Order: sequence, then structure tokens, then C-alpha cells
Amino acid sequence: MRMLDVIYDANANLLRNKLRSFLTILAIFIGSFSIISTSAIQAGVNDFIDSQVDSYGGEGYLAVVSNDSFDALDGLQNGMGNNKTPIEYNPDKIQTGMSPLTNEQIEKIKKIDGIDGDSLAKEQTLDITYVTSEETDKKYLIAAEALPPGNVKVSLVTGKQLNLQADEYQILLEEKYVNALGYDNDNIIDKKVQLAVKDDYTHKIKTFAAKVVGVIAPSVVSMGYQYTNNKLADDIYQENIKYYPEDMKNKTYAVAVNYDYENYSADEIKDKLEEIGLSAMTVEDIIGTIKSFFDIILTVFRIFGYIALLAAAIGIINTLFMAVQERTREIGLDKALGMSSKRVFLSFSLEAIMLGFWGSVFGIILSVIIGNIANAVFHAPGGFLESFPTFHLVVYTMSDIISVTILIIIIAFLAGTLPARRAARKNPIDALRYE
Amino acid sequence: MSKTVLSTRGLRKTYGKRDSKFDALRGIAIDIHQGESVAIIGKSGSGKSTLMHLLALLDKPSRGEITLHNHPTANLKARQLNTIRNKEFGFVFQSFFMNSNDTVLNNVILPLKIAGVGYRERRRRAISALKTVGLDDKRNNKANDLSGGQKQRVCIARAIVNDPKIIFADEPTGNLDSATGEKIIDLLFRLNQEKGITLIIVTHDHELAAKCSRQINIKDGRIVADSANETLEAENDDKEEFKDNDMDDMLDHQHPTHHINVDEEEE
Ligand SMILES: Nc1ncnc2c1ncn2[C@@H]1O[C@H](COP(=O)(O)OP(=O)(O)OP(=O)(O)O)[C@@H](O)[C@H]1O
Ligand SMILES: [Mg+2]
Repeated sequence: MRMLDVIYDANANLLRNKLRSFLTILAIFIGSFSIISTSAIQAGVNDFIDSQVDSYGGEGYLAVVSNDSFDALDGLQNGMGNNKTPIEYNPDKIQTGMSPLTNEQIEKIKKIDGIDGDSLAKEQTLDITYVTSEETDKKYLIAAEALPPGNVKVSLVTGKQLNLQADEYQILLEEKYVNALGYDNDNIIDKKVQLAVKDDYTHKIKTFAAKVVGVIAPSVVSMGYQYTNNKLADDIYQENIKYYPEDMKNKTYAVAVNYDYENYSADEIKDKLEEIGLSAMTVEDIIGTIKSFFDIILTVFRIFGYIALLAAAIGIINTLFMAVQERTREIGLDKALGMSSKRVFLSFSLEAIMLGFWGSVFGIILSVIIGNIANAVFHAPGGFLESFPTFHLVVYTMSDIISVTILIIIIAFLAGTLPARRAARKNPIDALRYE
Repeated sequence: MSKTVLSTRGLRKTYGKRDSKFDALRGIAIDIHQGESVAIIGKSGSGKSTLMHLLALLDKPSRGEITLHNHPTANLKARQLNTIRNKEFGFVFQSFFMNSNDTVLNNVILPLKIAGVGYRERRRRAISALKTVGLDDKRNNKANDLSGGQKQRVCIARAIVNDPKIIFADEPTGNLDSATGEKIIDLLFRLNQEKGITLIIVTHDHELAAKCSRQINIKDGRIVADSANETLEAENDDKEEFKDNDMDDMLDHQHPTHHINVDEEEE
């Protein structure tokens, strides 16, 4: 018997009892849909994270700050939420905005096993004591830096990009500062906020009135930094170092280094840095919050998908046992006319495979349709991914589609082996005598 | 006499185990020659179908041997048996055994499909087989929609489509009225005459049995009369059983089959 005939007959047999086949396929469909959707979201998240990791310096990147700087860099603790409030300034607490790394610490970093000393790059972070505005009495900690050179576009909720060369003070703020400072996104643009800078020597405060030109969209890579134009950054920096001895004038608040991620775990390196009073973050740490959020959803999805597949497998077994029973005489005739047991087994297995195949194909098709609609909806104005144009919630890769299909076909085949074996073992005489 | 196609010696078939053990055949020896038309007759439950199934290599004997073209069949592989049944044998069953939801043509095509014959070729041959039984015009009908006689003719078309050497027919007229049955009988004998196909027919039908070149009468799993071989009695184990046999007894049994739709033998 030709393979094409066997496949054709398997499909024809499924169409004989359309409702039963449909219901069996439905269960597979649900499993297939859940699993492919999970994979697609996972791929979407991973793609996004990869692109973030690359844009930030890739794997092996470590941002190192002194432990004290963590208070200001609360972007880490607060995650990317907009509804969070910045930490309030409290003059009675030892609560430095950003505290510099000592030269000694920097030299130690370079000597740590697994860290590439040559890769160390200093970041010029501004030491701002607090930020406030005319609309509030409260003062908040803030970490800000000049927007790096190059054609960097910060993703904005409203307003426009910084004019780096402008002769006035400009700043981009995250939404949480907008709200904390008594404004909202609609009315903050072109308003001025006060950046207070206290020098370490005289403890006198100098205030810089910076014009807010835009509101930063939530981003996982900002690490909680607000961005200033060059003039504001330069002037604050000069104020920071005004009373420093010459050798301290090149102090830094954060350094970036690469570590040997193939031979060392990030935690090992972090522990070593901890010993000298430093904190480090990998890009994964920075992105960790968003990832764990998706991981929970995906796990639920995936478990659901596998439960559906398990139920589907039982459905296949049941459906095919019924089919074997119904077609006892037919099987007997086929065998009497010379069909081998192997062919009988194959034809029932193929029916199982076809059930699996159609279930997975329909599940995948629906998932792709819904996924693309979801991508479009989430990126439309007002959608929750509007400010992450590079983040496709669902990404369907050919390898995911093929592996899900193959997985389901294997499950269907295994489920089908039980009834198929029963069919193959039927003796033509008994089958022909069967009423 | 022409070549022996099928022969058996000491053929026994026991069904069941221990308490429910039942000897359906108790030592059968026959030689069937090419081109013969053999009627296997006997009372219900005497073992006719069992014998036919063994001869057709659909089942294995408990003891004894069957040789096909002088080759023993006991050690043939499943694949070889399948090929023999597919290519050398044709089957006609009492209750048709068709895929009733399929078309007439597809039913006839089945043995060729199993044999792996290509689409065009098998279609051509199936149509030609349908022409032989005069049902060419019904080829696209659903098998279920045919009359009983037409169904049986489709089964004959299916039996001859792969040019078999032997046709096994288990009560081919059992479900038909006598007029229709006669047509079927004519068809079978035409095939026997024109194509030299050996016929092995299990039947209750007196008329059909009489038309055959040879009648083998079975009772309780033994051959009690064989029109071709009077010396056969020597080979049967139980001679005292044999003398009990009475041809009239057998004919009494056959009598009802002259009525329409004889079904009383089936439980
Ligand atoms: N699978 C089986 N298991 C047990 N007993 C069986 C089986 N098949 C047949 N028999 C028994 O073997 C005996 C012979 O059966 P068989 O079908 O050969 O009779 P038959 O001569 O063809 O009868 P009929 O004319 O009614 O078709 C019967 O008594 C039957 O009950
Ligand atoms: Mg019978």
C-alpha cells in the first residue's frame, strides 16, 4: 500500500465522524494554542532583553557603584512602574545622593579575578542633593547624568528630545518625578524644576533651575537615571568638584567594566565587589523585574498548555479506541485481503498523528493571528507597550512553530499507539465474525 | 488430472481452551486441483467455514499441514501470507463485507490499493472487473445503496480484480433470493470456465453444490463424502463415524435454501 494512500485514508477516516474528530482536535488545539503562545511571548521577551543587553554593552557588562549610591538609583528597587514615588530627601539621614568611588576602589576593581581591568570606563554621574519644584514642598533624591553623546533618542511619553548644545538648562524626567513634583504629563513641559547641589566642603546649596523638555517613557535600561543636556551637566559637575583638590577632580560615581562571563558567574564577581564596598548590576539585573513578571505568566500559560495536551492525549486514545471498535469488520476485511499488521498499525497511528497535526496547526494559526493583533493593539497609542516600540510581545519563530508541531505530533502518536496496537492485533477471522 | 493447487493432510482445528475446548475440524485430507469447482457442504456448525478459512490461509490449523502449489505453508512469514492472499486468492463472503459508506469503485479497488498498485492502473482494472459483473454504471454509487445481489456482484468484482488463481466463497448466495443467487452462480462459473479460476465454495445451496465439479460433505469436522475421491475414507481417522453418514440427511439440511432470504442457519 502506498504511503500517500495511507495518509489520504487516515484523513478520510477522521472525516467520517466529524464531530468526534472535531472535539478531539479542539482539545489538542487548546494545548497547541497555549504552548505556541507561551513560546511566542517568551521569544518576544527574550528578543527584547537581548536587544537591551546588546544596546547596553552586552553580556559581561557590569555597572559598579558604591553601596551608598543605591538609594538614589532606586530605579532598581522601584522597577519600571510609573506610579512609584521617588525616595524623599532627609537631611538628618546619612543618605547620599551619589557617593564617589575612591581611586583605591577603582584600582581594586581592576585587579579582581575575572574582571577585565582595561575595559573599565568611568561614568560621570552628577551629585545632586535633591530635586524640588514650585508646586511642592517636598524634596526628592535624584540621579542624573548627561545624555551620552551620539544620536541617542530617549523614548518619551511627551515633550521633545534634549537639545544637548542648548545654552539653557534642560532635563528629561521620569514620570514618577513629574507626579512627585506636583505636575502631570500634560503641564510639566517647559516648566522649571530646582536641582539643589550641596558641595561637600561648605555645605552650601546652589540651585539650578532646569527646564523639563520631556517625560521619559518607562525603560528598563535607564537604571533610574534622569538625563540632562550638556550645559546643565557641566555646570553641576563644576559645582560638585569646586572645592576638590586637583587629584580628586576626576572622581567618578560609577564605572562600567566587563567581566569574563564564560568562566565566572555574575554572583561571584558581585561578591568580590561587595567586599570592597561596591555594588554591581548586570544587564540581567536591570531587566530582571520585567522578566520575572513575564516568567510567572508564562509558567501559568505553559502548565495550562501541557494539561490541555494531556487531556488531548486521553481524548485521542478514547477516540481511536472507539474507531477501532467500530471498524473491526473493516480491519478484518483489510487483513483478509492482505494488508499487513504494520500497515493497520500505521494507518491508525497516522490518524492519531493527523489529529495532532490539525490540532497544532489550527492552534498555531489562531495564536499567530491573535498575537499579531495583540502586538498592534499594545503598540497603538494608549497601548501598554506604546513606549516600547522595539518590544514585540509575541514573536513567532519557525523553530518554535516546528518544534511545537513535532512535540504535539509525538504526543499524538504515542497516544495513538495503544489503539493502533489493538487494531493491528486483530485477527481477520475474529474481525470478520464480529457483528 | 491437472496440477494440485491446495492440499491438506490431517488438518485439525481446536477452538478455546480446557473446558470450552472444541474440535471444529478433526482431521481433514483433501487435494484440490487447478480449475476445479469444489462445493463444501454440510450442516451448520459442521466446520465448513473453519475449513475454508484454513485453506485460504486466514487462520492457522492446530495440527496438520496445508500445501499451496506443493509448498508447505506452515512456516510462511506474515508478509508472504499477506501477499498470497492478496495476489492469489479472491474472497466472497456471505454477508458481503464491504465498506458500505465508500463508493462501489473504491470497494473493488481495495485489494489493489493494499497491493500498492498506482492510481490509474488500479482504477482501470477495477472498472474492468465491474464490467465483468455488469455493474460498470454503478461505480460511483455508495455501496450501501445497492441491492443485495448487486452488492454480491461488487464483492465478486473485488475478488477477481487482482486476477486470483483461487476464489473462496463462503455462502455467496446465502443472503440472496434464488433468482439473484442464480445470477451470482452463473457469474462464478463463467469465471471458472473462462479464466480457469479454481472455485472453493461453502454453501447450503443444493443447486449451487450440484453445479460444482466436486462436492465435499463435512460433518462434525470430518469429511464424510467426497465426490472426487471415494478412497478418501481410508485417510479419515474415524471410520465408524463415516458409516453413519447419510447423503439424505445432508440434502434435508440444504432444502430450505431454495426459499428467499434463507437466514435460519444464522444465529
Ligand atoms: N472462534 C471460535 N471460537 C470457538 N468456537 C468456534 C469459533 N469459530 C467457530 N467455532 C465453532 O466451530 C464450529 C464450526 O464453525 P464453522 O463456522 O466452521 O461452521 P459452519 O460449518 O461454517 O457453519 P454455518 O453453516 O452455520 O456457517 C462451530 O461449532 C462453531 O461454534
Ligand atoms: Mg459458516
